[in-house]
Amino acid sequence: MSVQSLAESGAVQDPDAWAVEVHGLTKRFGANIAVNRVELTVPRGCAFGYLGPNGAGKTTLMRMLLGLTHADVGTMSMLGHSVPKDRDKALARVGAIVDEPRFHQHLSGSDNLAMLASSREPAANTRIAPALDRVGLGRRADDKVGSYSMGMRQRLGVAACLLGDPELLILDEPMNGLDPAGMSDMREMILSFVDEGRTVVLSSHLLDEVQRTCDSVAIVDRGTVIRQGPIAELLAGSSLVLEVECSEPERARGLLLRVATGSSIDLVPFGLSATLPPGSGRDLVAEISRVLVEGGVDIYRIQPLQASLESWFLEVTSRLGAAQ
Amino acid sequence: MIAARWYELRKRRGLMLLLAGVTVGLPTVYLAIRLVLHAVAPHTYGPAGGYDGYVNLVAGVLYVFGFIVAATLGATAGSVDLTEGMFRHHVITGRSRLALYLARIPAGLGIILPLMAIGFTIVCAVSVFAAPSTLDYNGARVPAQLSRAELVHWATDHPNEVVNNFPLRINPGDLPNTACLPGPSGPDGRGAKAFPGSTTGPCTTAQLRALAVNVANESYDDYSRHFLSPSISLMVKSGLWIGLEAVVAFLIGLGLASLLGQRTVAVVLMIVLELILTPLAVRAHLPHLMNLQRAVIGAATAHVEPGGLPRPFGGSQTEQVLALHEPTGVAIVVIIAWIVVWTGLGAWRMSTRDA
Repeated sequence: MSVQSLAESGAVQDPDAWAVEVHGLTKRFGANIAVNRVELTVPRGCAFGYLGPNGAGKTTLMRMLLGLTHADVGTMSMLGHSVPKDRDKALARVGAIVDEPRFHQHLSGSDNLAMLASSREPAANTRIAPALDRVGLGRRADDKVGSYSMGMRQRLGVAACLLGDPELLILDEPMNGLDPAGMSDMREMILSFVDEGRTVVLSSHLLDEVQRTCDSVAIVDRGTVIRQGPIAELLAGSSLVLEVECSEPERARGLLLRVATGSSIDLVPFGLSATLPPGSGRDLVAEISRVLVEGGVDIYRIQPLQASLESWFLEVTSRLGAAQ
Repeated sequence: MIAARWYELRKRRGLMLLLAGVTVGLPTVYLAIRLVLHAVAPHTYGPAGGYDGYVNLVAGVLYVFGFIVAATLGATAGSVDLTEGMFRHHVITGRSRLALYLARIPAGLGIILPLMAIGFTIVCAVSVFAAPSTLDYNGARVPAQLSRAELVHWATDHPNEVVNNFPLRINPGDLPNTACLPGPSGPDGRGAKAFPGSTTGPCTTAQLRALAVNVANESYDDYSRHFLSPSISLMVKSGLWIGLEAVVAFLIGLGLASLLGQRTVAVVLMIVLELILTPLAVRAHLPHLMNLQRAVIGAATAHVEPGGLPRPFGGSQTEQVLALHEPTGVAIVVIIAWIVVWTGLGAWRMSTRDA
């Protein structure tokens, strides 16, 4: 199977349904498969995280979508336009940062944007100043990029994305190199893009940031998408952690093992930490509470914790690693 | 897009200094020094203008170094987007990669050709306006800018000055009806030249004039080469010639750097081509490699050099023609082939490479 347009393959049912749609996408570098039969759909108007460990193939997938490198096999579309067949139409409303944003060091920020605007529609020139203002570089617009910090270059990269008034933004590790304040600003900016109805696809290994920014995610490992969907749904199927602060933790552990079979229970300084099986709900928490009280254990605090994206990510990827 | 590319290149201060320094600065400084020296010591240093200085600057400095700086500009235009990470930004805009590549051609030529034109105009202006109005042959002051007929006519009016002071020596015994000794003459009143071995008596006026006409005729090539300013026709042709050289060098540099993805190696290869391979191809007599020699771009552009200029890589025209005969049609085909092949290779690589 070679690279073909979605329209040709008949894979596109509703071209407006997805911001990004990828089927069976594969890319090899010699014997190494960087992207392996990836299936991915990104809904419009959301922030979508593309997560994976280093070398998982996140950037390669983005580069293929943007026409920076060629796919070996598979079909892709962005904003209803098949890629690479209608790449120019698709990219006209796409803004992207891939890898570290680099610019001509001897030109100012606004000159660099003018260079890029010249490759776009004429209206792009009118968006240079507003874009710089939006990312907070209005005052430094005439300074040479060589004098910019890493964070400022990231912002300039985002400003470059805005030149095409994009419906879809693809940001590869947008938080890289940013200090906490910069990360907060970037998060605010991404959320504001989504509020405006744009779609943002971002890759990152900063899972906490992704959880705070994105609505949906896909987890990629060794070139393959292993899970995807809304974060809330994905985490609902993950393990529930129960923290119990109590007297007699050893005795409490024995009681817990009887009522919550399949749980992993650890003794911790304040008492117990129990990881309950996936699918465990509030009923089980109430049952545990009742058994402990009836067993004569004094409970000072009992708190169910939903697994974080990070713990879920580690759980999913380690499970996969163990299976392989 | 072309204007943006032009602006990006123009803002490279170091590169612009190099280009302006070689194409405008070098000839300007050289001519300025000659103008000053001539103004300070006119008897020791000849005028800055004239034919001789013109051809040396055009065929030497502007042709050879113009090629190198044009190639450097082309290599820069072909590689900096890649090395500075901007190529992917441009690709992401959706603009065709071929269009991105082709936009660099008018942008780069819009820089190198005006600079070459400025340098060339300065050379032409000084060569014409600072050409000598008179010349001094051992004290004999001869008007400049004379045609052959005018010089001969002037010689018949000043036979003693011509016969006694022009550098060309003609033994009176070698010429019919001139077996005589020229009498004392010359503006400084010095005695006549002694013709070794001559035993004849003083010349009559008619004999002296006949001798002067012969000397003037024989001296005209030397006179015109050293004391005439270049003709308009020669200036136009040589301007187009060095312009062609710059265009060819730029396009090859652009294609090569786009193919390699970097500037330094491309520039080094272009310098090696111009300063080592081309002189070898033009001057060496290698019967078995004649076609290879003809295929060298420098040999082809040297063959379309306008008449009246010295050969750009040294040696006489006769020597080079003997070493490498190349019909003009073949030279033109070679030039077109180099332009097409390197432009095609550069465009292909930029269209297919990972950004």
